[in-house]
Amino acid sequence: MQNIIEDLKKKFKEEMQKVSDKKLLEDLRVRYLGRNGELNKILRGLKELSEEERVQVGRYINEFKKEISELMETAEEKIKQMAEDFSKEWLDVTAPGAKLPQGHLHPRTIVLRKVEEIFQSLGFSVVDSREMETDYYNFQALNFPKDHPARDMQDTFYITDELLMRTQTSPNQVRYMEKHNPPLRIIVPGKVFRRDASDATHESQFYQVEGLMVDKHISIGHFKAVIGEFFSQLYGQKIKIRLRPSYFPFTEPSFEPDISCTFCDGRGCRICKNTGWLEMAGAGMVHPFVFKSAGYSPYEWQGFAFGFGLDRLVMMKYKINDMRVLNFGDLRFLKQF
Amino acid sequence: MKFSANWLNEYLQKPLKPQEIADLLTMHAFEVETCEKFGKDFVLDIKVLPDRAHDCMSHIGIAKELAAISGLGFIESKANISEDKKIKAKDFIFVEVPSGDLCPRYSMRVLSDVKVAPSPKWMQERLAACGLRPISNIVDITNYVMIETGQPLHAFDVDKVGGKKIIVRRANEGEQITTLEGKTYKLSNQNLVIADEKVAIGIAGIKGGEGPEIDEKTKVVVIESANFEPTNIRRTSKAFNLRTDASIRFENGLDPELTIKALGRAASLMAEFAGGRVASGLIDVYPNKVKPRKIFADVEWIQGLLGLPVKMQEMINILKRLDVPAKIIKKNKKTFIEVTPPSSRLDLRAQEDIAEEIARIMGYDKIPATVPSGILIPAAKEENLIYEDKIKDILVGAGWSEAQNYSFISDADVKTFEIVKQVEIKNPFSQDQKYLRPTLIVNLLKNVKENLKYFDGVRLFEIGRSFTMVGGNPAEWKNKIAAVVSNKNAKRPAEGLFELKGLVHILFEKLGIDDVWFDDEISSDSSVMPFWLKYTHPARRAQIKSGQNQIGWVGEIKPKILSAMEIKEKISVFELDFSEVIRIASEEREYIPPSKYPAIIRDLAIVVEQTTKIETVLNIIEIAGGPLLQDTDIFDIYEGLVDYKKSLAFRLIYQSDERSLSDAEINKLMEKIIKSLEEKGWEVRK
Repeated sequence: MQNIIEDLKKKFKEEMQKVSDKKLLEDLRVRYLGRNGELNKILRGLKELSEEERVQVGRYINEFKKEISELMETAEEKIKQMAEDFSKEWLDVTAPGAKLPQGHLHPRTIVLRKVEEIFQSLGFSVVDSREMETDYYNFQALNFPKDHPARDMQDTFYITDELLMRTQTSPNQVRYMEKHNPPLRIIVPGKVFRRDASDATHESQFYQVEGLMVDKHISIGHFKAVIGEFFSQLYGQKIKIRLRPSYFPFTEPSFEPDISCTFCDGRGCRICKNTGWLEMAGAGMVHPFVFKSAGYSPYEWQGFAFGFGLDRLVMMKYKINDMRVLNFGDLRFLKQF
Repeated sequence: MKFSANWLNEYLQKPLKPQEIADLLTMHAFEVETCEKFGKDFVLDIKVLPDRAHDCMSHIGIAKELAAISGLGFIESKANISEDKKIKAKDFIFVEVPSGDLCPRYSMRVLSDVKVAPSPKWMQERLAACGLRPISNIVDITNYVMIETGQPLHAFDVDKVGGKKIIVRRANEGEQITTLEGKTYKLSNQNLVIADEKVAIGIAGIKGGEGPEIDEKTKVVVIESANFEPTNIRRTSKAFNLRTDASIRFENGLDPELTIKALGRAASLMAEFAGGRVASGLIDVYPNKVKPRKIFADVEWIQGLLGLPVKMQEMINILKRLDVPAKIIKKNKKTFIEVTPPSSRLDLRAQEDIAEEIARIMGYDKIPATVPSGILIPAAKEENLIYEDKIKDILVGAGWSEAQNYSFISDADVKTFEIVKQVEIKNPFSQDQKYLRPTLIVNLLKNVKENLKYFDGVRLFEIGRSFTMVGGNPAEWKNKIAAVVSNKNAKRPAEGLFELKGLVHILFEKLGIDDVWFDDEISSDSSVMPFWLKYTHPARRAQIKSGQNQIGWVGEIKPKILSAMEIKEKISVFELDFSEVIRIASEEREYIPPSKYPAIIRDLAIVVEQTTKIETVLNIIEIAGGPLLQDTDIFDIYEGLVDYKKSLAFRLIYQSDERSLSDAEINKLMEKIIKSLEEKGWEVRK
């Protein structure tokens, strides 16, 4: 009996060597440990043996069972490891990815969103506006009478004597104040037009962002703080502001905020023409004439207004050297954003 | 304007370095664009602002600014005239000013026995530094005094003035004048002229005429120093497209008190450098003398506006340095500065102007940045703009890139696209920008053409304004959303068109609009024919509708347009009315949980005429299928069967939210659907 079991053990171990996957292992298990398996066959023959022999064979068989289980477990582990060897499934993952449809926002939209987000965080609402304007809102309401030399600062496309393509986003100062009571803080982004030859730095159309803040007590100091905070957030670094005197008929005093050059930190470079400063905007304290145009009591309110060119910010951010690429849907350009 | 640094320094107690001048002016008055060496001198290009053109387009004006900014004293230039009592100005010339409304002041001085010769070298150098060409002592002196004082002067040879009479009058209709350059202008009674007894000898304030000009034989000179009404000068100058050093100064308005100062200076220079004898007496027609005005500036208001408690005395000191007399007065417990601006400061009108003078002379850098406090107003973004952002994101997400084009179109575009009612620019700068776009399609097609040189597939969109004539009036019309697609190697006809239909579905679904459909029954009533029908393929286009509202259109561009634009590929486009889209868009939608019960799927193949619309077949299936038919997808279209027929294969999905469906009831529904289809005469393949 013992020999039979030893032979069986030997045979099992030989077969075990050949097992290479889970299915063969399972077959082997059924063949030896299954209901009609080799071991059960032996167990069924036990009743023909004596009590003493029965106990001994039983012990052998139990040991054998234990051995089989352990071997099976090891084999299973081995097979598992083999299964995790993916080398047969190798492929070149450096091959390019699938070409999925990909769209791109215009860089102007990307920068404008950032601008709007910053101003909203400073309490400024974003207001929509129109591109065709009346002479009244674009000029007269802003203290540019007809035949005023200051109109030469803005060459204008006229549609009729009274209708024009707005030269600035400023008409919305009066338009907005006519419909809203102070205090107010708004920005008005939009397309403006100038009758001008196109070249790398001049365009017949470009984008401006107008800003207006009106309350009982608003000062130049407040403007400095707001515009400084805006540029610091936009460039993610502390930006210094300086104001230079200027002239706009609809602000008094008028000034132009320069920012410390973002390329050289104000040390002086080619981009800032060695001045350490970059011209960014036109601004000033709202002229009492404009409050009057809007139907406000002129000396009861104070405010600041500013306007800056969005295109300049876009060009600076992405180091674009020709303004004209902003006004044509060239995918070689758009795909970079 | 160009300024000589040496000349400016002549008026200052202590000379400033050219770069110092540039820096002081830039931070306190005007931007200095360049500062360049010029021989022994430096030339500064100063951007004099329009509100100070009346006094600062002159070396004296700028020097006064420098004196005020730096605190250095200002030294007046000499004008010592010794009149020759033996000759009297009124014996040489007689002046009449019938058009006093356009000429508030007209002053003259006469010099006899002048010798016309070149001007002294130092004067020639200064003129050259300022960009003026030396001509002769007499002419150079008039120019020199103009850039010194800001007052334009003109010199006549009295012997050539007809009747020894100067008349300042409106021109007669059709009267002609030939200027010193030999150009002839036809005048109207809107133009002011300087005339002798018979003819115009100058366009007032703009340009002298042929006739009494100075030449080498001139013996007696009469110098004109006048003050003209600015608007009229500006209109005439614009109408004739004739801008001169004189007209630029006059159109900005000048101090009427300046005329005699400049005359005195010119006469003294001529006596010195042209050997002239100054005739006694000043000819001066100045009926309405300008009276001094007062400004009351509220001290507290100025401090508040500046954001800095500038001391009252400092304000007074700054004004004094500017030569603006001021004193403190108290009225109703408030403190004011009473300012009496000199006649030379036309720009000082109200307290805000005083605030600016104080702020800029003191320096804006003195004002600290202060975070505004106040009621917190919630910052909102207008709904239109929020939707615009959202639509851009959806289209970009689907693979379209955002173009931003010119709002203009050309004459050629109008012809190619058969555009009508276009809005015309009255003063276009170029032929490419003659009209405003009524549609975004024109420029997008140009984008496609250019991009096809580099890409096999082009997908672009734009959101922007369009313009048209409405009821005969130019109008900003609609904000539009347009998209284009063009694929080289398209696999099936009008592939782009169907791509765009897909894009419309994505857009509308994400905007919460669910009842979008495409209507190809387009009215061909030519009287109401919209623009787009003229440039789209008649067999490949549809209106995009939501319910009965038309919100846009989609179509393939007509071959004729493509060939006119020299584009070889097919291009499909859509254009939507932005405001209509957002009107219908609603963000409110309700969640429907997926059904817990299994779906039953059945396929159905139908043979129909080639021209039968899929939409029609779908409608019949869906009506017959009832509410249990949750979805119907077309998964195969096979065209080219015999008898000009096509086969359509549909997958029908049945599902209930309440129970499991039985095969028996679905069989019944299928029979019902098949019966409805067969009633139409279509063959259902079983």
